[in-house]
Amino acid sequence: MEILKTILSVTGIATVLTVLIIIAEKFLNNYGECKIDINEGEKELAVDGGSSLLTSLAANKIFIPSACGGKATCGMCKVKVVNGAGPLLPTEEPYLSPEERAAGVRLSCQVKIKNDIKISVPEELFNIREYQATITSVSEMTHDIIEYRFEFDDGEDISFKAGQYMQIESKPYGKVKEKATRAYSISSVPSDNKAFELIIRRVPGGLCTTYMHEHAKVGDKMRVTGPYGDFYTRDDSDQYIFMAGGSGLAPIKSIVMDIVEKGLDKKMIFFFGAVTKKDLYHTDFFREIEEKYPDFKYIPALSNPAPEDNWEGETGLVTDVMKRYVESGNGRHAYLCGSPGMINACIKVLTSIDFKESLIYYDKF
Amino acid sequence: MEPGAYTAHGFIGDDSRSLKDILRADNEAVENMDLTHKDIAARMKYFTDVGKEAPDSVVILDGIYEVLVDDHRGFIPCPFADYAKELKTNTKLHNRDKDKDIYWSDLNIHMIGEHGFYEGQGSFFRTEPVELARILGLIE
Repeated sequence: MEILKTILSVTGIATVLTVLIIIAEKFLNNYGECKIDINEGEKELAVDGGSSLLTSLAANKIFIPSACGGKATCGMCKVKVVNGAGPLLPTEEPYLSPEERAAGVRLSCQVKIKNDIKISVPEELFNIREYQATITSVSEMTHDIIEYRFEFDDGEDISFKAGQYMQIESKPYGKVKEKATRAYSISSVPSDNKAFELIIRRVPGGLCTTYMHEHAKVGDKMRVTGPYGDFYTRDDSDQYIFMAGGSGLAPIKSIVMDIVEKGLDKKMIFFFGAVTKKDLYHTDFFREIEEKYPDFKYIPALSNPAPEDNWEGETGLVTDVMKRYVESGNGRHAYLCGSPGMINACIKVLTSIDFKESLIYYDKF
Repeated sequence: MEPGAYTAHGFIGDDSRSLKDILRADNEAVENMDLTHKDIAARMKYFTDVGKEAPDSVVILDGIYEVLVDDHRGFIPCPFADYAKELKTNTKLHNRDKDKDIYWSDLNIHMIGEHGFYEGQGSFFRTEPVELARILGLIE
């Protein structure tokens, strides 16, 4: 009987404590309705306090670029907060320069809405939309790169500039219980506006790329947002140098197809760096363009061709190969997409031959 | 540390030991070699830095080591919640003398150097500390 009494009193106390905690949480964390003022009254949103700025904006169809889904690991969701954000968090510090901190830039995934807040965002973010899309083809490009085609459901279409990117949301799989959001460049041409294609390279242990490479299949529906980014060609040059490695080929493919399709009078050289022949892809595609479009030249370069590759093309670091073909800047624009190492090396080479740094555009991984 | 938090497979692999036990055992193995975690991390960083100088290319060092560094988009934070973040850069090292390949990420260099953590057994990037030191050329 004594034991039963003890059990009952302990259970009773635990229940009362639990109820008290739930009530306290409800009152303490209840920030009520808060207002988000965007661009000095251009838009005003009424949201329930307690969520992150990134989530609250997305709930109102304003999509801030974010490749990590709000985990403060990509540093892309920067927003200028005029006031109302509270103190800077340690999770934000590694991603913000002193200038950005001074200007009030914050990671929107780390800013919790607790009161009215004023923010400033670029106008083009208002054009980003959310879509439901279905995978309609999966094409293996290399041992670790796959190209996917997505078609929009309900006959929707998209307007994007060649070189921009989309964000896709993977689903839970295996031991991974949460969705993951990641950004991938569009590899298809803007005129193909009922669909888009992405080139995705497998990251060992990557949350989203593992999903895409091991689980995603034709017929799967996915939530996507876009288009994002400012890696697209500027019109004030008629000579473009392109350089890419790995999946960095995607935006260049889109840009080249767009220029060829529009019949623009541009001279283009595309340098693609790889280690061995097994890392090359879309070679026939670019060779075909080369044949049809005399102003386009495709130069793949292998840094370490295997003996069985019987490689007769350019050999060495792609930046060294580029030096053999490009003698000076001479009003050209350069567009680079690849690893930080490749891009830094390329900028060094280009500036050494009088390329203006302001005319070198890049999308660094 | 769990699958899905930062990576698809997590950092523990199929190791049934507690994190404390994993750290303790690896620390003992490193001490027995008269090395420190920082010695090992510094050697790994040396190879990675050499590889980064020649992107998308195999670099041969001393006629023994082949280094290939591979970059992917984005950052990965340290699971020890010290606000460290590393690029998603992976290094592959082939030791010709021992005919062995090992892989590590920039995050592994940080976790080994700062936390003495080599990941759990069965995880993708774990190499046993003694094997790692041997292939890196720190011990015979």
